[in-house]
Amino acid sequence: MYKTDETGPGIFRRLFYIFVLCALCPVFFLASCDGGDSSDALPEPEPTAEPVRAGGDTSVYNRTSFAFEVPASNLSEESLIKHLNGDITFGDVFVTPPAPRNPGLGPLFNNVSCESCHIKDGRGQPVFGNTGLRSHGLIRISDPEGTPLVPGGNRPVEGLGEQIQDHATFGFTPEGEVFLDWEEVPGTYPDGTPYSLRRPIVEVILANGEPLPDHIERSLRLPPPVIGLGLLEAISEETILERADPDDADGDGISGRPNMVWDTVTSNFELGRFGHKASSHSLREQAVKAYFEDMGVTNPDLPGEDPEPDIDEETVELTTFYTQTLAVPLRLDTDDPDVPAGERIFNDIGCEQCHRSVIRTGTHELPELSDQLIQPFTDLLLHDMGEGSPTTGRTTRQTGWNGERRRSGL
Amino acid sequence: MFSKAKILTLLFAVSFIFMAACDGGSSGSDSGPGPNPNPNPNQEELIQNILDDYVDGVVVGTYGLLQDRAAALREACETLEADRTQQNLDAAKAAWISARIPWEQSESWLFGPVDFRGHDPALDSWPVNRTDLDAVLASGNALTPEFVRNLDPTLKGFHTAEYLLFAFSIDQLGDREFEYLIAVVTDIELTATELLNDWIAGPEPFGDIMKTAGSNSVFPSQVSALEQIIEGMSVILDEVANGKIAEPFDNQDVEAVESQFSFNSRADFADDIRGVLYSYTGDQPLLGINGTGIDELVAETDPDLSARVENEINDAIDAILAIPQPFRDAILDPNAADDIVAAQEACVKVFNTLNGEVLPVIRQ
Repeated sequence: MYKTDETGPGIFRRLFYIFVLCALCPVFFLASCDGGDSSDALPEPEPTAEPVRAGGDTSVYNRTSFAFEVPASNLSEESLIKHLNGDITFGDVFVTPPAPRNPGLGPLFNNVSCESCHIKDGRGQPVFGNTGLRSHGLIRISDPEGTPLVPGGNRPVEGLGEQIQDHATFGFTPEGEVFLDWEEVPGTYPDGTPYSLRRPIVEVILANGEPLPDHIERSLRLPPPVIGLGLLEAISEETILERADPDDADGDGISGRPNMVWDTVTSNFELGRFGHKASSHSLREQAVKAYFEDMGVTNPDLPGEDPEPDIDEETVELTTFYTQTLAVPLRLDTDDPDVPAGERIFNDIGCEQCHRSVIRTGTHELPELSDQLIQPFTDLLLHDMGEGSPTTGRTTRQTGWNGERRRSGL
Repeated sequence: MFSKAKILTLLFAVSFIFMAACDGGSSGSDSGPGPNPNPNPNQEELIQNILDDYVDGVVVGTYGLLQDRAAALREACETLEADRTQQNLDAAKAAWISARIPWEQSESWLFGPVDFRGHDPALDSWPVNRTDLDAVLASGNALTPEFVRNLDPTLKGFHTAEYLLFAFSIDQLGDREFEYLIAVVTDIELTATELLNDWIAGPEPFGDIMKTAGSNSVFPSQVSALEQIIEGMSVILDEVANGKIAEPFDNQDVEAVESQFSFNSRADFADDIRGVLYSYTGDQPLLGINGTGIDELVAETDPDLSARVENEINDAIDAILAIPQPFRDAILDPNAADDIVAAQEACVKVFNTLNGEVLPVIRQ
C-alpha cells in the first residue's frame, strides 16, 4: 500500500527529483548539474594510440542478461579460483542464528545476501517491502542536528542509525516501512520535443506508525552494478584529483569535489571512491559496511557487539576480491553509425567532463587491474546536482558503468 | 582432496577465447567481436522456428509442468494433513520430488521473469531459516498462504517444504507444521502460476518478447536471443560444476548440499543438465515435445559439432548419475571422489564447447 506524503517533508520530493534522469538522459543531466554552463571550448578526451576498451584487459564481449557475472578476462588461474570462491560468498544467503549454514542475518536488515540486491551483479530495482523481490532499495538518513560518529562523517539518527532497515528476523520489528510511488514530470527539449520523466516519491513510516520526522534528511539509494569496481579502485589519487575543481576555479560550471572520508582503521582521511556519496575509500570498506548495515552480518571490521563476528576474515577477503574482479562488458554495436554520432554529442556538450571516458589505472595490488586503459564514465568526484539531487546535500557521484542497454527487460 | 584448480583451468582457457574474439573487433575505441546482428536471410526462418519452439515448447511447456506438479504437491499435502499416515507422507514426498524435476530443468533459463520478478528466490532459496521457522511455528500467528507469502524467501519455497516433509517423521508433524506446510506449498503453486503467466499472458508476455527478437529492444536481433539461450545453459553448467557440486565437495561440508533432506541432490543436478539438453534440442520429452533446436542451426554449419554437443551433454548427465548415492555422503567418501570430479569435468567440457565452438557458429 502506498501512502501519500501529505505529512512528509516538502524537501523530500526534491531530493529525488532527478534520480532517474541521471541514468537515462545525459542532456538533461548535464543541464541539471553543476550549473549547466556548457562551454563551447570543451576538451576532447585525450586521443590514445592504443584501442580503449570499456574495462581494458578485463573486458568481455557479452550482450546477454548475464553479462555482469563474468570474471575479468585477464585473471590468472590463481585469481580466477579466488574469484569463483568469492562468487559463492557474494551469493551466500544469510539466515537467523544459530544455524548450521550462513548464520548471522539481522535482527534488522534490508536483504539477505549481496546478490539479492545486486541482481546478476547488476543494478537493483526500485522496490521495497515483501514482494518476491523484497527490498532492493534502501533509504539513507541523516540528522542535521546530530553528531557525526567519525570526523566528517554522516550524522546518524537517534534510534535509527544511518539507514532504514525495513526487514527483521521473526520476532523483531523493522525500523520502518518504505512506500515508493512515481509521478510523471513533463518537459520539453530545446528543439521543442516533449519528454516525460519519472520522479520517485518515497515515504517512510516508522515502526511507531509515525512518518519519519521532516527534519531528518533522507536519500533513496539503489544498488549499482558491481562490474569494474576493482578498476576504479586502481585509479591513482593523482588521476582523480587532477580534475577536482571544488570552487570552479576555471569557471566552466563544473565543480568536482573529492570526498575525503575517515578511515577508522588507519585514523586518517582517505579519498572516497565508492557509494553514491563516495563515502567508502575501498571495496573492502564498502563490503563490510554492506554486510553490517544491509544484512546485519557482523564481521572482523564491524563486529558490533558480537564476541565472535558472523563471518570471518576469509569471507570478507573473498567477497571483496569478487567485487574487484568482475569483467566490464564491451560496448555494443559500435559499428552502428548512431554510436559514434552519440559519442561525439556526448563529448561536445560536456558530458565527458564529469563522465570521464578515458582513464588509465595506476598500480594496484592485483596486477590484472594495474595500468589499464579504461572507459569508466565517472570521475569519482562529487558533483552538485542542484535542488533535485537524489542524495542528501545536493552532491552525488556518478556510478560509472551503468550497462543501461543490458537492463532493458532482462 | 580434489582441487578446484583442475576444473577451472578449463574455464580459464575459455576466457582467452573470448579475449581473442574481442581483440579482433576493436575500432579505435572499444567494441564487441562484431557478430552479425542478424542472421543470413536463409536462416531467419530456421531461427524463428528455434525461438518459437524454445519458448512455446521448452520454456512454457516446462513451466506448465511445474504448475501442474506444484498443484499435485499441494493436493498431496492436503491429503496428508487430512489423513496423517506414512503412506500419505510418502506420497507427498514423491510429489515434492516430481515437482522438483521441471523446476530444476528450468534452471537452464534463469533469466526473464523468474529473475526480475523474484520468482527464483521465492521458490528455491537456500538454506532454510530453521531458527525463524521454529519461531514462526511457536508463534500464535495464523499460518495462512498470505502470511507465508510475506515472509522472507528462506522461510518458504521448495526447501522449506522439503525440510518439513523429509526431516520430520509422521509423528513429529503436528497441527502447526501441517498448517505451515499447506501454506508453503500453496505459495509454491501460486508462484509457479505467476511464473508461467509472465511468459504467456499480460500486456507484454516475456515469451512474445523472445519470439519477436530482432524487433524489440530486449533482444535487438534473433542472434542475441540465441546468445541468451546459450548463456543460460552455460550459467547452469558452471553452477552445477563449480557451485552445487564443488562447494560442498571442496569444503567437505554436508550443510552446503542443496536438497539434502530429500537426498535428491544428484537428481537435481541431472535435471539441471537435462534442461541444458532440451534448450539445445528444442525438445521436452516429459511432454512428448520434439521441437526445432539450436542443434539444427549448428548442424547446418558443422554437423559433427552439433552431434558432439548433444553427446557431451548426455555424457554429463551420465557422469552425474554415476556419483554414488546419496550425494551428501559421497562428498565425504574418498572412493567417490573420482566420480564427482568426472561429473564436474563433464559439465565444464560442455561449457567450453558451447562458448568456444557453438557461439562462434551462432554468430556467423
